[in-house]
Amino acid sequence: MKTILTVDDASTMRKMVSFTLKSAGHQVLEAADGAEAFATAQTRPIDLVIADINMPRMNGIELTRNLRGLPAYRSVPIVLLTTESDPAKKNEGRAAGATGWITKPFSQDQLLAVVAKVL
Amino acid sequence: MSEGGGSDFQEELVKDFLLESAEGLESFERDMLAVENGENSPDLLNQVFRVVHTIKGTAGCLGFNRIESIAHSGESVLSLVRDGELPASKEVADAMLRLSDALKAMLDLIESCGSDAEAGDFAELRELLEAVRDPDFAATPVEPDSVSAAEPEPRSEAEPAAEADGRWGLFGDEEPAAESKEETDTQAPADERWGLFDSEPEPEKPVPPSATESSAANDAPEPAGRSGPVAANSTIRVDIDLLDRLMNMVGELVLSRNQLLQVSQKRDISQSEVSLVSQRLNQVTSELQQNVMKTRMQPIGTVWGKYPRIVRDLAGELGKKVSLQTFGADTELDRTIIEAIKDPLTHIIRNAVDHGIETPDTRLAVGKSEEAQLFMRAFHEGGQVNIEIIDDGAGIDGDRIRRKAIEKGLISEKDSELLSEREMVSLIFLPGFSTAEKLSSISGRGVGMDVVKTNIEKIGGSVSIDSVRGEGTTLRIKIPLTLAIVPVLVAKSAGQRFAIPQVNLVELVRLEGEQMESLLEKVYDSPVFRLRGNLLPLVFLSKALKLSAPVAKQASSISIVVLRAERQLFGLVVEEVCDTEEIVVKPLGHLLKGLPTYAGATIMGDGSVAIILDSLGIAQLAGVLNASKPESFATEEESEEAGNYGMRNSLILFSLPGWGRLAVSLDDAERLEEFEADKIIRSGRQESVLYRGGIMKLVRLADHLRVASEESSQEQVIVYKIGERFVGLVVGEIHDIIEESVSLEPAGEQDGILGSAVIQGEVTDLVDVPRILKAARIDIPQNVA
Repeated sequence: MKTILTVDDASTMRKMVSFTLKSAGHQVLEAADGAEAFATAQTRPIDLVIADINMPRMNGIELTRNLRGLPAYRSVPIVLLTTESDPAKKNEGRAAGATGWITKPFSQDQLLAVVAKVL
Repeated sequence: MSEGGGSDFQEELVKDFLLESAEGLESFERDMLAVENGENSPDLLNQVFRVVHTIKGTAGCLGFNRIESIAHSGESVLSLVRDGELPASKEVADAMLRLSDALKAMLDLIESCGSDAEAGDFAELRELLEAVRDPDFAATPVEPDSVSAAEPEPRSEAEPAAEADGRWGLFGDEEPAAESKEETDTQAPADERWGLFDSEPEPEKPVPPSATESSAANDAPEPAGRSGPVAANSTIRVDIDLLDRLMNMVGELVLSRNQLLQVSQKRDISQSEVSLVSQRLNQVTSELQQNVMKTRMQPIGTVWGKYPRIVRDLAGELGKKVSLQTFGADTELDRTIIEAIKDPLTHIIRNAVDHGIETPDTRLAVGKSEEAQLFMRAFHEGGQVNIEIIDDGAGIDGDRIRRKAIEKGLISEKDSELLSEREMVSLIFLPGFSTAEKLSSISGRGVGMDVVKTNIEKIGGSVSIDSVRGEGTTLRIKIPLTLAIVPVLVAKSAGQRFAIPQVNLVELVRLEGEQMESLLEKVYDSPVFRLRGNLLPLVFLSKALKLSAPVAKQASSISIVVLRAERQLFGLVVEEVCDTEEIVVKPLGHLLKGLPTYAGATIMGDGSVAIILDSLGIAQLAGVLNASKPESFATEEESEEAGNYGMRNSLILFSLPGWGRLAVSLDDAERLEEFEADKIIRSGRQESVLYRGGIMKLVRLADHLRVASEESSQEQVIVYKIGERFVGLVVGEIHDIIEESVSLEPAGEQDGILGSAVIQGEVTDLVDVPRILKAARIDIPQNVA
């Protein structure tokens, strides 16, 4: 069992991700934006961060950059949720230090496959 | 994402999605209008973008492909606007609002049948969304263009996600290479929609989207079919802090119950133990009650949210320019009431834009600004919510209204000549009156202001209108905060107790001895009472309800409860006025339900049942209403003028020893009370009394005006309600309540006095109540000031 932090301002999306991961036996923490996620990440060890890109307060790319700035998160996998309409964001994410991406919409299997891959 | 996971969960997600999207779209419309009006902070633009972006993403994962696809088209436009590549023109806003409509329609469809598959393809909207991406769109005819830039075309169901080149990946590998063999083997199919940045996946296979799609078609209708409409408004959001508080109080309640059980099992119970427990129980339940009510309270802004859009569209359609401003959107109301006023308010707004506000040309011609102002204001006052809709349009042509009313046979020509301008304007509330000279599809057909009025009165509210020709119209609505718990006056007649809702209550008159004979008169055999020069028809409650006569027929005093029904006043004669109380309204059983004289029943403190009287029903039963006769407007007009226009004021006249005559406005006062001196509790310099289950602080006016405070055995107190608390202003002796036009002379340096005026031939100082209360360190919300 791993601890996964899912970050999305859309609560439905967050629930979906969280449900999928929980049913795969993971412990899941939720955050509604980057700032909340960043705060949560500093209070406990997390094995994987799955973050949406477009969020208020602190977006997914900023979150990635900030997390990478913390010694504890240098090598924790961070997967960004992207959309087709923002191809440029993928490269920004890479530059910020993200581990991978998933394009929305995705299926549960796809999500679990990525998770299995990075953990 | 829709496959597997259990249909319960799927159902829950769909519900969440509907709620989230509906909320999102509401703010979307509001923000979009702001953007159109020139606000273009990056935050706002991003917010607008994010709403559509989120709907798109979530819809895709839930398998609602049509929503996803149209949202995608909209998102493309919005991303151009956000990046400053496309101005937020009226055309763009139009397209976005239409997108919002389409999305709402599709969400409704999902709510009712669980799938968006039945939704049309919105080809026209799609074209429009394509077209507005051309910055020159406004100037050029509508034609689909190909600005699409780096963005892929919206996916349609026919060609699902064929463009997906590497839908996931790992960073570290520069070019989107094909995914490694073992990955395709070991991982689930459709990996191309996700990936890690060190190994790019191979091009997408068409499998996954169709999987999602078919699952949307197959899974989604099922839960909806089982549970019926998900109805976003059948759920309510409750602040987690509030919920915690409720839980906490329920815990307290359980403790109190345990205490009570314990005490009740004792052999000899002492009085003090019982009162201790019951006090505690009292405190916990009233707190619980308040907080549960709070969960039902919603800001009125939830209804107002849609008006900017309505005004904008309507104004556009009619070629008018209107700016809508709202104040007090956070004023809270019970949600059932919010539901009930939604349609009347919409109607009023539409009326204002359609009939009230002139075209820009006309406005310019009469020297007004081209853009009309429409204000909506909500505020709490005297335990009620006031809503005002104010426009600076042409006002209502009273003479036209009068002619129309004569034409429709609602009033005789002769009667109409007696009407004042305001009374003429108020004719629009008569049933069967429709002001539209040419029927317009906009303000509705056949549904007139009378329906608005009836609907608002149904929930215990009232409407009044004030219009100045050429300057504009103001519509005022007063509605109760909630319908479940109402403040009532308990009165006795023939030995039975009755509850009279305070919304209808105007004042109480008590006649003793000689007065009974001198002031009660008969006009054509009907008893009337001369109240400050006006004849007030009287209804004897025991007679009207045919109650068996009480023992002592010749009482030494009678009490008249002056009530308002429709727009008229009448006096209800009861034997005894008991107390005011807040009661819980229980519906009557079906045998009694149809009786118009009763509004419900309640259970009193001692466990007995009291019937709640319906003042309109009683008045009708007794026949004291002159059915829609124009004269009937007179009383109402007076009382309205009094409160609202400052020309006439309801004033409480009183005196302080060592000062002379003083007055305060009656409107802000909650109630007049009398307390015996020994009931007043002193702690330090603060005096207070127990009042309505709480502690009410007392403020002595004499202290603030620096005159010697003389304590008497009976203190007369004017009670003000400030937020949830009461504050009592101890005044000397209350003499009278009058209505009078007051012209105020500015006062000298005296703090706490607004000014003086000549009232009833004597110089009277008007007290600045907010100032006095402020000086006493009692915070006052604006509505009292």
